[in-house]
Amino acid sequence: MTTVTLFAQLKLRLMAGNLRGDLQRKLGFAFTLVMGVIIAVVGFLLMGLLRLAPPDTAAAVVILVYTFMLIGWMIVPLMAFGLDDTLDPARLSLFPLTTRTMAIGMFTASATGIWPLVTLVVAAGALAGLASSAGGVVLGIVAVFLQFALCLTLSRLITTALSGALRTRRGRDVLAVAAIFVVLLAQLPNLLLNSSFGEPGAMLHQAADLLRWTPSGMAAHAIADGGLIGLGELVVVALAVVLAAWLWIKALNRALVTPDFSTQAASVRKESGLVDRFLPDGPLAAVVVKELKYIRREPRLRVGWFSSLLVAVVLGFTATRSGGAGVWLPILLSAAAGLMISLQAANAFGIDGRSLWMNAVVIDSERGLAVDLAGRHLASALVATPLLIVISVSAGLFAGHPEGIAPAVLAGLGALGIGYGVGSVTSVVIPYTMPERMNAFSGAAPGQGGQAFASAMGAMLGITALALPFVIPLLFGLLWVSILAPFYGLLAEILGRKLGAKIGFNRLPDLLAAISKPT
Amino acid sequence: MAGIDLMVPAGSFAGLVGPNGAGKTTSLSMITGLLRPDGGHAEIDGFNVWRDPVQVKARIGVLPEGLRLFERLSGRELLVYNGRLRNIPKAEVEQRAGELLRVMDLTDAADKLVVDYSTGMRKKIALAAALLHNPSVLFLDEPFEGVDPVSANTLTEVLRRFTESGSTVIFSSHVMDLVERLCDWVSVMNAGHIVAQGPLENVREGRSLNQAFLELVGGPREGGGDSGLSWLGRERQ
Repeated sequence: MTTVTLFAQLKLRLMAGNLRGDLQRKLGFAFTLVMGVIIAVVGFLLMGLLRLAPPDTAAAVVILVYTFMLIGWMIVPLMAFGLDDTLDPARLSLFPLTTRTMAIGMFTASATGIWPLVTLVVAAGALAGLASSAGGVVLGIVAVFLQFALCLTLSRLITTALSGALRTRRGRDVLAVAAIFVVLLAQLPNLLLNSSFGEPGAMLHQAADLLRWTPSGMAAHAIADGGLIGLGELVVVALAVVLAAWLWIKALNRALVTPDFSTQAASVRKESGLVDRFLPDGPLAAVVVKELKYIRREPRLRVGWFSSLLVAVVLGFTATRSGGAGVWLPILLSAAAGLMISLQAANAFGIDGRSLWMNAVVIDSERGLAVDLAGRHLASALVATPLLIVISVSAGLFAGHPEGIAPAVLAGLGALGIGYGVGSVTSVVIPYTMPERMNAFSGAAPGQGGQAFASAMGAMLGITALALPFVIPLLFGLLWVSILAPFYGLLAEILGRKLGAKIGFNRLPDLLAAISKPT
Repeated sequence: MAGIDLMVPAGSFAGLVGPNGAGKTTSLSMITGLLRPDGGHAEIDGFNVWRDPVQVKARIGVLPEGLRLFERLSGRELLVYNGRLRNIPKAEVEQRAGELLRVMDLTDAADKLVVDYSTGMRKKIALAAALLHNPSVLFLDEPFEGVDPVSANTLTEVLRRFTESGSTVIFSSHVMDLVERLCDWVSVMNAGHIVAQGPLENVREGRSLNQAFLELVGGPREGGGDSGLSWLGRERQ
């Protein structure tokens, strides 16, 4: 019992300590609290309202809800790893704790908090919605707690088993990119329901029939059943909880004594030298080669590129569903993709952060800075051009207007050039630090959120305004204008880069300071 | 900081010492053009740092504090990138990088990402990067902090050879023994001022450098034993 109170208190202290003196965090916590209360109340009420639905539909819905709850508990803590001190067993490994104490303690710690409470309340809503007999209520109470315990232990098991990998650099790199796919996955039910694959009611029952045999599905079914079958199901769920707990303790024991292998990394591949064949030896080639490597190896850049493309694809889907597909579709998509990709150059030095000193001690003139920017743009364009071609071709074929493909590629290149030009200026006028760790809520160091917003908005408005002269005629069908777009974009890039270098060279120390803020 | 009057003769192995927060890092950043001073001027080999960056930047090598490097490059790629930024032909850079990696004992780790390097390896690769273009003055901020004795020995060997050829090294440190062993010129900083500088013997005046340093910056008085902690080291129950 003392262990339980001790760890519950530790968790509460950590939560309180996290909030001290930081307005942004306090606001975040208040937001979480409000969201938690709303979800708990609304979730409970909705589950209770299921009583009005036909019993088999109600049971199917609860089975689905319980399963998503379990999946949520398995995935979300992985994404938020490092936010919660009680999650990482390595921090406790120096204390003289037995595995039993440790397991009880970590279970308590993970049960203490807003989201566990919300889970418990929503899960209990099924009692109100499903239980139809006295046996159902009794079994239901047990089922709710078993479902709750299953969520926690499985979530613990996964974080503990992976905690070794998560503490390595490579593991965190993979996870940063994986986060994007989770966002995509969350859209899947939405897309399925909106598509014409089948009637929603039938789909619900099909899914429930399948998920009913998972532990969380059995817990849900037991509440509806309320008889001997339900009892049997609960025994199976309890066994699953015990098994998960046992595996978790094993994993915990192993995690505490397994060394960190993160420094024994693999070697990098030898470079192909393709860039050097086309560019003269010197700073320009050096920057291009380095930037290309960074696009491949830096998780923040990989996430940036993925999201840019994602926005273009989502935009395409929305456009095709809301109206017909004209010759404007590939042009609009390609220009939007060019805009999104070049927006990454709006804070060109942010990713380098404090390492930029290495360039700063070499750049000795405006020309030097202009060459540096040119290298970054060239590397980005080398990756962007094939992507724009793919987007244009697929959108053109999909829309049934192959004559729009070539103008779309040209328009995309134009938007890209304008983006680089505008980005050169915003990069030196409104530079800001990008945090080392990806974070869903903030793309800038504490206190620099305003700069990040100004930079992104400024660049977006600037690019859109400059792109209108060729995008509007194109959308109205004057396809020949597209021939001018790349030249127009190149002009914008050159002028923007010159201006950026002129402003930036005099501000080099200030630029360095702005992108080296602690995060 | 206000009014530092730092002077280092060409060809010397100079140590900049001072307690934490004395302004060593700030001074070095200003001298190397990474931080803009409010006033005053700095000259390297007779060239003004802020008015003549082309001449100055070609002559200096820097190992800044904190040691953030381009972490997603391998050690070799980092050196090659650095050299090519400075317009040294690629073949020449690759040859120099290979030699530096060998001297620094980094050949085995040359093709691993810098993000996976240990502190000592980072210091060595950063020093290699600072030496790559054969600068005439080298500025090193805490080059030996967190470096194991074997690596430290390698670093000092390289630096000794470098100064013997007539080049200048200026490094900041708070390890007095090291400064005493390596340097022929010492500048002592405290609270943003230079409180003493000159050839090692003049600053020391017959004392050990540690003793001289403590007297110059006003260290704690002797016999501060009764400030609590009486339980520490007693017999345990």
